[in-house]
Amino acid sequence: MRNPTTIEPVPGRTDEMIINMGPQHPATHGVLKVVIGLDGERITRAVPHIGFLHRNHEKIEEARTYTQIISYTDRMDYVSGLQNELPFILAVEDLLGVEVPPRAKLIRTIFFELFRIASHLVWLGTGMLDLGAITPFLYTFRDREKILEITEKTAGARMLPNYFTFGGVRRDVHPDFFKDVAAFLDFFETRLPDYYALVLDSPVFQARAVGVGVLSKERAIARGASGPVIRASGVPYDVRKAEPYDAYPELEFEIPTREEGDVYARFWVRFREMEESVKIIRQALEKVPKTGPYKGKVPPRVKPKPGARYRAVEIARGHLGAYVVSDGSEYPARIKHRSPSFANLQLIPDLFVGARFADAIAILSSLDPVFGEVDR
Amino acid sequence: MSLFAEVWDAVKAVAAGLETVHRRVKQPPATEFYPYKKPEIPPVSVQFLALIQNEDGTDRCVACLQCERVCPSQVITIERKRNPEGKGFVLERFDLDFANCMHCANCVEACPVSAIVTVGEFEHAVYDINFLKADKAFLDHIGHEAKIWYSPKFGVEMRTPEGKIVKAPPEMQPGGLAELLKEAEGGEGA
Repeated sequence: MRNPTTIEPVPGRTDEMIINMGPQHPATHGVLKVVIGLDGERITRAVPHIGFLHRNHEKIEEARTYTQIISYTDRMDYVSGLQNELPFILAVEDLLGVEVPPRAKLIRTIFFELFRIASHLVWLGTGMLDLGAITPFLYTFRDREKILEITEKTAGARMLPNYFTFGGVRRDVHPDFFKDVAAFLDFFETRLPDYYALVLDSPVFQARAVGVGVLSKERAIARGASGPVIRASGVPYDVRKAEPYDAYPELEFEIPTREEGDVYARFWVRFREMEESVKIIRQALEKVPKTGPYKGKVPPRVKPKPGARYRAVEIARGHLGAYVVSDGSEYPARIKHRSPSFANLQLIPDLFVGARFADAIAILSSLDPVFGEVDR
Repeated sequence: MSLFAEVWDAVKAVAAGLETVHRRVKQPPATEFYPYKKPEIPPVSVQFLALIQNEDGTDRCVACLQCERVCPSQVITIERKRNPEGKGFVLERFDLDFANCMHCANCVEACPVSAIVTVGEFEHAVYDINFLKADKAFLDHIGHEAKIWYSPKFGVEMRTPEGKIVKAPPEMQPGGLAELLKEAEGGEGA
């Protein structure tokens, strides 16, 4: 297989060695295989092979009713499960013309941001595990457990709750929910300095990350990157600001952006995003009415008008979109999911070639791919 | 000189990391001693599904086939016949294949009479996959054993030691907040 980024042979260099990294490599976060050509320590070419986890989501969903599909969308990016339901639900809500009560919007936003924190914590733990640090992994999973417990109490499952629905959420929140979330935020704010001390401010980590895997603005845009990856390259693109959905227009927050585009910048952006999420949830907790409707009026049989709609949200990994084509029946005619990890993974040849082999792991963990969503 | 500075930086970084860990080392453990100490699962949590029977031993299920229709992985199989005495249908067969169930609780959402519910039981692990193919007798058994369960129509319900089915207090109900707030207001007023 020819790869456009293959470097032409340089006169006088040593023989190229081909290494298969994955699909059972523990640092590839799932089932990614990268065929890597090595010249000594330097990577001369990198060809990612994906599709080991392909489950035919889009075709299966054509044979399911709209209500049934929600539980399938959860299973794309299983680390931030709840966030994946939203683009599909927003698109169908637009087709149905359903009004969402403001309380439901705020509850959705609180859960959305909680799952962003949970997802970033998993990324931080496993990413640092790749770089050889075990302590952050133990700490982040302990903190994430608290989010999952809050979710289970209200939504009925820890990772794949199937909780959002057309017109709002499935059931009202648990009476302790707002108290629990506020308590978690207080707890989490005392823990964030630990993560800064252990990871971001540590010179050992900086030696590993600063100036490694530099991604230029132009390449990031050309490859369709999104999420923290493109924001670390100096493009302030965030769907929450670009096409606001749910309760985001009424909440104030910043988009953390950094110019360098290296591994350190991508780590930094995600750290700052966790802080912003805490701010967003605090505002939402102030605004959300304690009681009230949690679901708009939706017909018992969901049959959207014929038409097509594309809606996108900013999940922890970037721009996740759903394109829904309805022919007026109970089953959708076509569904397309635009997933951020898939686009971000296209950067592998750009970032790997020329880097050291040991840095490839750092670069990959800074891209934070989840393969349930890459392969769908 | 620069090498010395780098080594000094690294030593300082390790010391700072150890200091952070040392600060947190006295916190209580976050892990649980499962299976010696079992965690309490909220009844809304979707683990095992169960069929609930009324206090007099009759089925709550009216065999309307709603759960079979909404199931995304099509694991529910129902056979029914006309009720010999009176209107409606009665169950002949109710099979649920937990091995293929994706735990979305669409069936619980759809049930109009709160017959199929989520219970707080979670120990699914078996040696043979065929043990996960549940029939009506098994689902009824889980329902009888269950002390607390949830369905959207009736909320969280409990079985008293005498075998009576009662509604759980509002602090356990999703949506019980409105009731609690009203009670608090009433308490202040009185």
